[in-house]
Amino acid sequence: MRSPFAYTPRPGPLQAASPGAAVAYLGALVAVALLYSNPIVLAAAGGAAIIAGLLAGARDAVRAALRMGVTLALLIVAVNALVVSRGNTVLARLGDWPLLGQVDVTAEAIAAGAVIGLRAAVAMVAFAVYSSCVDPDRVLRALRLIAHRSALTATLVSRLVPVAAADAARLRDAARLRGPGAAPVGRAPLARRLLAGSLDRSVDVAATLELRGYSLPNSSPSRRNALGIHLLPNALHRKFGSRYDARFYAVGATVLIAAVAGKALSADDFITYPAIVVGTSPLTLSLAALVLLSGLAPLRRKPTRRASSPTTPPTQQSVEPSRA
Amino acid sequence: MPELATPSRTTPALHIEGLTYAYPDSSGQALRDVSLSLGAGEFAVLAGRSASGKSTLLRTACGLVPHFHGGEISGTVSVAGIDAIESGPGELASVVGYVAQDPETQVVSTTVAAEIELPLEMRGDSPTSRARAVEEVALALAIPHLLDRTVDTLSGGELQRVALAAALVTRPRLVLLDEPTSQLDPVAGDELIWLLRRLNEEWGVAILLAEHRLERCLAAADRVIAMTTGAIAFDGQRRDFLTWAQDADTALETPAARLFSLAGIEPLPVGVRDARRTLVGPQLGGVASGGGLRSPEAAEGKAPTLLANGPFSRSSAQGKEGAPRRQDPPAVALSSQDLWVELAAHDVLRGVDLAVGRSERVALMGRNGAGKSTLLRTAAGLVEPVRGKIETPGGIALLTQNPSDYLVRERVGDELPSDAGAAALRVVGLEHAVDADPRDLSGGERQRLALAIALAGRMEGDELPSLVALDEPTRGMDRARKNDLVDLIDDLAACGAGVLVATHDVEFAAAFAERVILLGNGDVIADGPAAEMLSGGWYFATEVSRVLDLPGIITPEQGAVVLTEEGE
Repeated sequence: MRSPFAYTPRPGPLQAASPGAAVAYLGALVAVALLYSNPIVLAAAGGAAIIAGLLAGARDAVRAALRMGVTLALLIVAVNALVVSRGNTVLARLGDWPLLGQVDVTAEAIAAGAVIGLRAAVAMVAFAVYSSCVDPDRVLRALRLIAHRSALTATLVSRLVPVAAADAARLRDAARLRGPGAAPVGRAPLARRLLAGSLDRSVDVAATLELRGYSLPNSSPSRRNALGIHLLPNALHRKFGSRYDARFYAVGATVLIAAVAGKALSADDFITYPAIVVGTSPLTLSLAALVLLSGLAPLRRKPTRRASSPTTPPTQQSVEPSRA
Repeated sequence: MPELATPSRTTPALHIEGLTYAYPDSSGQALRDVSLSLGAGEFAVLAGRSASGKSTLLRTACGLVPHFHGGEISGTVSVAGIDAIESGPGELASVVGYVAQDPETQVVSTTVAAEIELPLEMRGDSPTSRARAVEEVALALAIPHLLDRTVDTLSGGELQRVALAAALVTRPRLVLLDEPTSQLDPVAGDELIWLLRRLNEEWGVAILLAEHRLERCLAAADRVIAMTTGAIAFDGQRRDFLTWAQDADTALETPAARLFSLAGIEPLPVGVRDARRTLVGPQLGGVASGGGLRSPEAAEGKAPTLLANGPFSRSSAQGKEGAPRRQDPPAVALSSQDLWVELAAHDVLRGVDLAVGRSERVALMGRNGAGKSTLLRTAAGLVEPVRGKIETPGGIALLTQNPSDYLVRERVGDELPSDAGAAALRVVGLEHAVDADPRDLSGGERQRLALAIALAGRMEGDELPSLVALDEPTRGMDRARKNDLVDLIDDLAACGAGVLVATHDVEFAAAFAERVILLGNGDVIADGPAAEMLSGGWYFATEVSRVLDLPGIITPEQGAVVLTEEGE
């Protein structure tokens, strides 16, 4: 069964964009999450990542990331509530605990934990959208020209992870199929067997890479294209780049500049201790609105019929080259 | 007059002289004084038993040996004029393509297009020429619809085609294939072989194909090279090879050749068409009619004499030696009613109704993705049905496709420490190997050991569970090992277990099964005696049945009796 985070080719702007553009856009949302503590801005960044994922067709990835993100957030909230006893609003006094001492659960500690959890959830959703929408082959191709050995390692790992997962599933099945008279298989023998199998598999994959010419020195013609640098309007860009690149670079840059400027102008007002204060200044709300709107960047324009060119099927206008 | 043939075209695609090779830390030699030359545009089949050196030879020709595997090598290997021992696999990548047995480990990219494009990118081709080459090879292999798919969504057959496309995209002079059809159903396997032939003819690519199922590829080849214990034992024309195999190693005979050999008919046929031509020829005195060798009864529309209840059938009413086993209906080993199974939001099994009796030997056949493995896994409790039920009243022992998955310890006795384990080892004939390391066992022995692990504790005394199920047990097996497996299945059935084997191997099914169930699109589309099911069709029919076109005649032995009688 496929992972919900696995890349799925779809004819959308985010999928058609070069890896650099996609990373710039989604990275800006993650940067907002890392820079800000204000829950309104964080929620806007999370909303933007969710909207972007849904518009890009990555519904399953967003759903799975939200599940994981909420679970992680709840865990952080619980741990923070138990570990931090600061804050004026004591909700419960849990007495003396081993190692922790006196445990008082405060509303402020819960809020502080929720902000950290929200930050983590935003990053997870953004990464899920990236994983589901950005072609890893194009990323590796770009990486190959920057760091050949690292790209080789990344290629091996990216291929071996699903292969090892399939091997593990098979080994688990075989363990379940052993007769009751056979020695039971514990975790250690199973892990040992999986490791040995993975080593064999990695040798096979490495052999395939050799046969594909991975050991050859790189040539230059593909360098600029592979790097995903499509800002220069040249013939290669027109043929293999995406018209959406500029949009994602622009939105990413706008969000990032606005976030940095907002931070400098105190748009990140949020105090947890001793009492919760959430900044709701016009600047904060404007920034949140801008960040939320950035989630619409992967919106795909509906193809319009051209009366003057009846021979061109409308669907062709919206098809982006997904290969570069 | 200008020279028409360029030097590159006259240079052999592969030239090997005095090649001897030993893997690192190996006491024996994997290749011994091998010399051969494969001309440009030739299509050669590399035959031989398991561990005869076929794969090593192919890996030498693509540079993996010695560059990737290490070891000691002597002699010369030249691919399209390039020294393969001096150059590595990367340098050879533009002149030789290699396709291995397991398509899973032959893909390194996420999407099909990127996978095919990779060798060109590594070579430094421009984006324009890469795009064109990918498009052309995709069209040649009929896979343009797969280009934007991710590799983890492809079937085995599709994946094998993608691997072939990646091997061909550089327009190599030589393509090496190591049992590429072993995981494919008969339809996909035949398609791949004839695709290779077409590429060989139209693109002039030389092809060296290692294969166990020679009946599948011999007709497409120009020449056969046979290996025994690392050395070339035969190198010549197809018909000469069959004559050689008749004396040297009958395990390498094709069913049609064995049919002719047993019936004393010459010359030995290299394929179905060849055999049929011979049989309708004058040497048999008009035995065959124009439409094939139909019996008079069949021609008149009467019930054929050689059908399920005839002397050649392996019906459930007869034991291994032909002695009556029992006449009453056998106890049920497996039953399913309206069985529906859903995997990844797709219906894989759709209302399967089925019953298998104890002591029955049943082949479960169908194309890739028909639901064979899922049916077995559901019977063993690995998959939950969404509707209906499946039962194995006396228990089930399932051996999955990779016997090595069952082997996790370094001593056979540690895998099966109890009395029940010892009893299971006795059933599979491995009681002598208690102290052996499973890795030191032969492939067939490892398979038996895995079966013993599945059986252990599921037997009452020496009584087996009601059903023993095997999933694709003959992958990568030579014919000798398949014969051993047939004997094991016979023994299990004789001990009272129903044996249900999911297989693509039609000849193997003919050898062991008394009944064949054909699955299609998740449901049973045909179910009947093996003699009936494996004759009369084309893909799910044995070579002998395709030659003779006689209902009920599926094995060389059966066919030889008919031919001998007709000849007299």
